[in-house]
Amino acid sequence: MDPGLRRDDGLMGDHDLIGRNRLKTAALNGGALAQWRKWAPLAVLLALCILISLFNGNFLTIGNFIRLLNSAAIPLVLCMGATFIILMGSIDLSVEGIVALTAVMVSLLVTNDISPYAIGLFAVPLAVIAGGVMGLLNGLLHVKLKTPSFMTTLGVGFAGVGIAMAVLGGDTVRISDQTFRFLSLGRPLGIPMAVWIAIASVAIAFIIQERTRLGRWLYAIGTDEMTARHAGIPIERTRILIFTVAGLFYGLGGVLSAAQFGQGHALISQGRLFTTITAVVVGGTALSGGVGSVLNSVIGVMIVVVLANGLVLMGVEPYVQQGVQGLLIIAAVALALDRSRLEVVK
Amino acid sequence: MMPPVLELRGVSKSFPGVKALDDVSFAINKSEVVGLIGENGAGKSSLLKVLNGIYQPDRGEILVNGQAIRIVSPRLAFDSGIAMVFQEQSILPTLTVAENIFLGREEEFLRYGLISKARMNEAAAVELKKVRLACHPGTRCADLSFADRQMVEIAKALSLDSRIKGDVTILLDEPTSVVERKEVDLLFEIVRDLKQRASIVFISHRLEEVLDISDRVYVMRDGKVVKELGSGEATVKDLHQHMVGRQLHHEYYREARQAAPSSQVVLSCNGLCKEGAFSNISFPLHAGEIIGIAGVIGSGREDLARCLAGHSPADRGTLTVDGSVVRFGAPHEAARKGIGLVPSERKTEGQVSAFTVAENMTLAALPKYVASGILRFAAEHATAQEWIGRLKIKTPSTATMVGSLSGGNQQKVVLAKWRVAGVRVLILDHPTRGIDVGAKEDVYELVRDMTAEGMAVILLGDTLEEVIGLSNRILVMRDGEVTATFEAPPGGKPAQVDLIRHMV
Amino acid sequence: MTAGKPFSPAVKSSVNRRALLKGAAGAAAVAAVARSFPMPAIAQETTWTLANSMRSVANPYHATFAKGGEDFAKTVGAKFETLVTDGNSEKGISDIKALLQRTGGKLILNVDPNDSPDARVIVEEVKKAGGFVVTQWNKPDDLHPWDFDPNYVAHMSFDGVPTAEAIANALFAAFGGEGGIVALGGILSNVPAIERKLGLDNAIAKTNGKVKLLDFQPADWNEQKAFDITQAWITRFGDEVKGVFAANDGMGMGALEALRQNGLAGKVPVVGIDGIDAAVKAIEAGEFAGTVAWDPLWTGGMGLAIPYAHVTGKIDITKEPKEHREFYGTGIIVTKDTVADYKNNPPKTDFGDLWGKATGQIQYRS
Repeated sequence: MDPGLRRDDGLMGDHDLIGRNRLKTAALNGGALAQWRKWAPLAVLLALCILISLFNGNFLTIGNFIRLLNSAAIPLVLCMGATFIILMGSIDLSVEGIVALTAVMVSLLVTNDISPYAIGLFAVPLAVIAGGVMGLLNGLLHVKLKTPSFMTTLGVGFAGVGIAMAVLGGDTVRISDQTFRFLSLGRPLGIPMAVWIAIASVAIAFIIQERTRLGRWLYAIGTDEMTARHAGIPIERTRILIFTVAGLFYGLGGVLSAAQFGQGHALISQGRLFTTITAVVVGGTALSGGVGSVLNSVIGVMIVVVLANGLVLMGVEPYVQQGVQGLLIIAAVALALDRSRLEVVK
Repeated sequence: MMPPVLELRGVSKSFPGVKALDDVSFAINKSEVVGLIGENGAGKSSLLKVLNGIYQPDRGEILVNGQAIRIVSPRLAFDSGIAMVFQEQSILPTLTVAENIFLGREEEFLRYGLISKARMNEAAAVELKKVRLACHPGTRCADLSFADRQMVEIAKALSLDSRIKGDVTILLDEPTSVVERKEVDLLFEIVRDLKQRASIVFISHRLEEVLDISDRVYVMRDGKVVKELGSGEATVKDLHQHMVGRQLHHEYYREARQAAPSSQVVLSCNGLCKEGAFSNISFPLHAGEIIGIAGVIGSGREDLARCLAGHSPADRGTLTVDGSVVRFGAPHEAARKGIGLVPSERKTEGQVSAFTVAENMTLAALPKYVASGILRFAAEHATAQEWIGRLKIKTPSTATMVGSLSGGNQQKVVLAKWRVAGVRVLILDHPTRGIDVGAKEDVYELVRDMTAEGMAVILLGDTLEEVIGLSNRILVMRDGEVTATFEAPPGGKPAQVDLIRHMV
Repeated sequence: MTAGKPFSPAVKSSVNRRALLKGAAGAAAVAAVARSFPMPAIAQETTWTLANSMRSVANPYHATFAKGGEDFAKTVGAKFETLVTDGNSEKGISDIKALLQRTGGKLILNVDPNDSPDARVIVEEVKKAGGFVVTQWNKPDDLHPWDFDPNYVAHMSFDGVPTAEAIANALFAAFGGEGGIVALGGILSNVPAIERKLGLDNAIAKTNGKVKLLDFQPADWNEQKAFDITQAWITRFGDEVKGVFAANDGMGMGALEALRQNGLAGKVPVVGIDGIDAAVKAIEAGEFAGTVAWDPLWTGGMGLAIPYAHVTGKIDITKEPKEHREFYGTGIIVTKDTVADYKNNPPKTDFGDLWGKATGQIQYRS
């Protein structure tokens, strides 16, 4: 039998120092590299910031920083939900549908020019819960009918936009409730209210991820569902719950969208899905599940937002912008990826 | 007389076309270590899955302390005092050691719905002490070695012991198949220690180990328990006979068939170096020769094997194949030069499980089965048929998915793949890992067949015994260098201790 | 379009059903809601079916376009259907084919093709089936109604160049005619986007350097993108920006909200095009300097009225001059000064006056 010398174990009176040390070094090397990769998205973000500020000094002003955060607020909230789903190894394409539906719903419930309801800020929890219900629907259909999350959420997303259209018939609701609009326009401590809400969302998402069973289990499911099942984790319930939580975040995103534009219409969320998924992936969360974090997504969102802002600041030709954006996103993902452990890419 | 802590009475379980368990009765008494052996496909895994609540039996009952219970989920099994250490590791690399140990049972660390990591790590440290694993409970399992992860797995099962009021039964499924001698000794120490508090079912391919550790042994074959015997009254040979249902009529490693290699050098290394893996490796490999490489994990032998097979190029030195110097950038370049690797991770590297037997066999030689861009299925089928016969592969047809075959037969398909591709140098990395005794012998027989036909083999054995038994020559590696070379002619094999001295 | 309350209940319900059915593909639960909507009552006195086809009813322009068709169908008591492409050319064409099949070719179609090349396929299908078609906005330059007599009745469009030029001038006037502006464009390859950019460029050129285009960015007709780009502009140009030109009102609204976030709403004027309700209200609030109202009620109804006049023998379309076969409609410039008048006296449509609002034959600039 081959003697194994793999444990750094004082109890064993191990006499072989050479083998042991060698392995320790190897582990450290691998560790250091992994550590570096972990920080790659942040490095990309910083490099981007430095590059842009070289071209345009205005980039590094407090005013612009606040504007960046303001642009990032809604994507951040959406990404908190989407990150959970992706960590679980699923995908959620219902972002736009749920945001549209909840934005329309909240704008009809506060003081507006179409419907008579004017329940003010009470509309906010209602819309967030409506998002949760749509997420619950995602989860139930996905788990109970065993349809792939890709198709299920696509369908629910269409349904969301469809209902929003049906309710408004193509119209736009104009919100005149100034208290509600405070959610976007208010500036406690000089920072837009939407940013405070986004920060709170990140904090909540981080606590869910790190300190709750739900967070633990979604990593387990995303890494290896069979093993998670064997460990006695209620897979179905966890999946449904995670989709619901994601729906709640999208609902909040819908509320913030309505507050930001002072209106609600079925197309208010156009383009949000792409930004959301891109930000999650650029942040270093693997689409295969199990690897990543909501904090990664915060970096991802900032990369996407800073990039869009920076390309305008640097005066890059509009025709070139999309290409540059695409290339930089691929570069960011490539840097964060541990190719040494990845022999098969699908 | 106390009832057994765990008992199965007449348990049967069928799947379409297979009777996985056939009227199995089985009992474990308090503080007893029971061995469970059987060839792959004998029903051991099904039995474990029934006990773990993953399968529901069609008939029969399960009793815990004399009470009949129904185990409908892994969690319920756990709460009934049955913990399992899986053969396929169930440690999640993305979670920490502590998170893995308490996965699915976090509630004891909850406070206001939030998990206390500190308390969880503390509790995990207690369990880690039981398996004498000196790593921090907050370490991510991806950063642990395979054997350490196995220990975490065992710690996970042991955590039950302090959390269940009643008796605890721990099912160890092949806990030693991939760990090495020192870990095995440690594991046995732990098992003996555990006997004070728990009953243990020990499942292994290594019959000596089973005899060594168990009080009683159950032998399974074809879904039935065919024999129950006290370990004092049995020998490895007995167990083997009951398991395979036939006599051990050959000598194990077929030393009699070991022929002297020809003088023709098919491959030679000259001062091969790879930063951080191995250095200054030189040896010739002759047609018909088996060179065994012995070394502990981290000795660089795996890296060397992968380098020779073109998975990663060497930094310095030359590799000569058939007299010309080569440098491989990718495995297919090595394959073109007639070098094939049978990797140790059969399921992920050696085969495409969802491909048929025939498709797997022709995978490395596909161009031969293509006529003007179209696959010639008839030719593929004929080849597959031929090799199924030659290697005695047990498969219903050439169109069976490889993943559904037993481990031994899967390995034969992998070997057939390289022979179809016409390789002349085969690198075998743990070719018998995780396959049962009968299939092992078949593999040894095949290796002898191949060398008789003039193929050369580089063997990274599963055990030292295997390396010594099969090889013509043995290189011992340590820290990336060859520390000794032994000739191993039939009848003049070196002793294990001699090799070990150069390994550590 | 009538500002404020654009929908009669009947139209709303038919529109709603359509959108709901679409959603129902995703969730069975939605179907239950759909059933609670009443079926529209359909008068059936003529054998001809009238239909309007467009991208979706989720935008006010197309919703009103559909209503124009419905209004006309009511005046003649014909069956009316709304077809929606959802931005999918395949779907748009196959829906039209199905309707041609169902009506046995007795179909009068007023279509805003999803994409220019679709127009040819649609025209050919309609001709084959013996129906009549009017196209709006999008068609290949070499496809002409007179080449498919009599089935391809007419093509209607709005000239983006003079429209954009006029609204740009309204913007310049709002900030005093001197200073820098920024401009948000549509999707770079869209014909209206190109025309509106050209109109803006013309207007700037005519100021002899008094107005400077600081930056032009395509925001792809997207409110959100417009918001983010405008934020970046505020950083980059600060108070150099005297006005924001948006190639449509949606982007204009996005820009306006970005200005509002920075305390600039009402201080930096914005103009848009399309005349959506929100833009009209923003003009009243003094935050928008102007918009251009198309007349989708007119295009939606007249695209049916002209072919209907032909099939009922009132006119012979093959004998009409080219400026009656390919023509521009009239955009209404709405500014702070005219907004009250626009709201009080919404543009009226007389379905008997077939070419009263036409403003000349279509010009091909490329």
